[in-house]
Amino acid sequence: MSIADIGFILTNAVVLTCIYGMLAIGISITWSSVGLINLSYGFIFAAAGYGAWWASNIFPHNGAIVMIAGILVGALGGVLVCALAFIPIHDKPNFPVRGMIATLAISLIGSQALMAGFGPLSKSLPEIFGSGTIDFGDMVLTADKIGNVLTSIGFVALVVTWMRSSRRGLEIRAMMMNPHAAAIVGIGVRRTGFYVMAITGGMAGLAAVLLSQTYYISPFGGLAPMIKGVSIALCGGLGSVQGAIIAAIILGLNEAITGVVLGGQYVLITQFLLIILILLIRPRGIAGIVDRAREA
Amino acid sequence: MGNIWRNPLFNWGVDRAAEVVPTIPYLPPQDSWDRTKESKVKMLPVGRLRYYYKWPGHGARIWAKLRYFGTRRRLLYVRGEYNPKTLRREKTIVDKRPIWWLMGFLFLFVFPFILPTQFGGSLLAAGTIFGIYAAINLCWMLIIGTAGIYSLASYAVVGTAAFGTAWLSINFGLPWYVLPLIGSLVGLVFGMVIAIPATRLDGFYYALLTIGLNELCRVYTLQSKQFGSASGGLYGADTYIPQSWSSDSQSLLAYYAALALMLSALFLYRMVNGTRLGRILRMAPEKREAFAEATGVDFRRARITVFVISSVALGFIGGFYAAHFRGASFSIFSFDTVLLGLGMLVIGGIGRSEGAIVGTAIVVLLDKVLMSWGPWRLILIGLIMLSVVLFMSNGLFGIKKQFRAWRNKKKSERRSTRSEKGGEMLPEEATETRDKDLIYWRRYDKMQRDYLKKLVSPEIIDEHERCPLGQHSEPLERLLLYFRRAPQDDKYAIVVVDPFKAYRIVALSGVRGVAPRTVEERIYPSQEAAYHGVFMRRVQDLMES
Repeated sequence: MSIADIGFILTNAVVLTCIYGMLAIGISITWSSVGLINLSYGFIFAAAGYGAWWASNIFPHNGAIVMIAGILVGALGGVLVCALAFIPIHDKPNFPVRGMIATLAISLIGSQALMAGFGPLSKSLPEIFGSGTIDFGDMVLTADKIGNVLTSIGFVALVVTWMRSSRRGLEIRAMMMNPHAAAIVGIGVRRTGFYVMAITGGMAGLAAVLLSQTYYISPFGGLAPMIKGVSIALCGGLGSVQGAIIAAIILGLNEAITGVVLGGQYVLITQFLLIILILLIRPRGIAGIVDRAREA
Repeated sequence: MGNIWRNPLFNWGVDRAAEVVPTIPYLPPQDSWDRTKESKVKMLPVGRLRYYYKWPGHGARIWAKLRYFGTRRRLLYVRGEYNPKTLRREKTIVDKRPIWWLMGFLFLFVFPFILPTQFGGSLLAAGTIFGIYAAINLCWMLIIGTAGIYSLASYAVVGTAAFGTAWLSINFGLPWYVLPLIGSLVGLVFGMVIAIPATRLDGFYYALLTIGLNELCRVYTLQSKQFGSASGGLYGADTYIPQSWSSDSQSLLAYYAALALMLSALFLYRMVNGTRLGRILRMAPEKREAFAEATGVDFRRARITVFVISSVALGFIGGFYAAHFRGASFSIFSFDTVLLGLGMLVIGGIGRSEGAIVGTAIVVLLDKVLMSWGPWRLILIGLIMLSVVLFMSNGLFGIKKQFRAWRNKKKSERRSTRSEKGGEMLPEEATETRDKDLIYWRRYDKMQRDYLKKLVSPEIIDEHERCPLGQHSEPLERLLLYFRRAPQDDKYAIVVVDPFKAYRIVALSGVRGVAPRTVEERIYPSQEAAYHGVFMRRVQDLMES
């Protein structure tokens, strides 16, 4: 195995880590602020992919519009999930279980609707970042890889900065710390829920556009990225952005190393053994607090 | 207002008795009595009491004696009593669930023979699948409902056992009757492995992890050659269905075998959920673990025990699955299977065996019978699932409890709005009063005042002004009787300032030794004018009350 192969695998791992990390941060923020396990994230992902594909049919040569369309459709999907699975039942008994099952039901309905609407054939997006390459000795970095990494990191940085510096971000962070106290000091739970779901939906949409530079868009194509995202979020500790980043790096490294040493089909096995190991040592994930992270 | 009253004393030459006095028409006092007595409480359009059919005759003692062998459980809880009105002997079936179960079982047993012939085959196949899925869901319900572990890996356990046993059967020629046993072993191992994180993780962390495990199984079997990645599954295991039989007999045998599997899963459910293990866990529901622990209940151990028992059962079902379908397909690991399975549990209601079975029946029926709808049937199932989650707190079998809670809420809302002022006591005041006669006296008094207010009219006042004393018309007589009967404190009286020249109205204090107070400065020229003044004050007080 030459240096170039290892370099190829490593760059792939970095790209996928960035994208899955973004998904994980989305899941993590959703859980910690509104208390909803969003298992329809895969559906939002697929819907955003279809939205971007539809935009690319209308504007075939404009990458930015395709990307923005993906983000907007993702945000719309997030708002839809919020309106269906959060707003009606967030103050009812058994909300966590019912919310999770509601998102699962939305995922079932949504993916089947996509299947009925667009057919089972997968679609591909145009290359957003062009097709240029940069050579680093033996390694060849293509434009889409660089674009993927930069865009995902940039978007996450943007979201984190917005959450740190704006009034709305302050509200969201207050909800993440203690939703009851946030409600008492006058932060609207429902309104904040819409912001959170729109932002995390937008993250899923961007991830869908970026990932479809490598893979295809299909009605059920969101499931695998969602499970990756969930695993990373779980491993990093639900509710922690830093933890999700660390977990994404660890799992990305694991993926690269397992792929090189054992072979591609063992990646998931080693990944889950690693996650179980991490969770046995730290039951709330790497950055999670052992005590109850989120009451209610 | 045109009525007259004839004074009966006129003919006797009584002083100042007019023959005919104009007065008001007769108003029956019964009306205001009836109006007060009628219930003004808004009635709910639904019944307010639980309804039980009363069976006639004796026999409750016999039902109390009939027990399941070796236990003290009754077949049917029948209560015998005497009707308090007719004094006839009657029986009440307090818990009707055994009857429903029995009817359900009977229906399932005769199901293959009452099918319409044109789609008998597909319905029988659906019934077979229902049996297997109901068995899986019952075991899953033990994990989610009884043990409270949100594991989504139940189908992964079944699938692993099915693939493992099918592979062993193909490669080593194991006969079909060994497959469920080996499957149980696989389930035991798998269950112990995934029980390790369940001891540390709680709730949703575990749910998310098990979703991942399910996906891991799917991807692994999909990629590996020995599990038939090329043929869409692993087929060719030994089966319990004799190949020499006709296809009708084969499907009949398959149906009854699946039914037997479901019955044994129900038995297991009953044995785990209804005995000590289940009772321990019912004492330690989510968020009340600390209390259970403080009372010395080792709920963690109980949870893991239930989890492992269910995993063994799931492995057994996996072995049966392999022997039934002659192998296993990848679809058992797919996310949609888990989703539909969870949908079955949720639609029926989590924590109840009847919920698992009815939910399975609904989803399997929609899934298999509406096969021609394509993806729309799954959308329909998803919509049912979503609406159940949004509108019901615990599935179909939680409706009763939810409805009762809602009705009680409405009842108490209505009760709190029911408070009438003016003479009647508020409910809080009534409970505080020592003398309960007072409550009824006030009620009667209010009713009487309501009636008397309607009698006050210019005719009556003119009549009184003309002749304050002596015989009066019936309405005026009623008014005066009421006024005269008033208690002594604050009762009006007349004081003679100057005999035959000046009179004044005072109010008695009602206390011995305390002088009456002056009500007004006005001086009346005669005694009769003062009488009428007192009457007018009383009428005014009455109208203001």
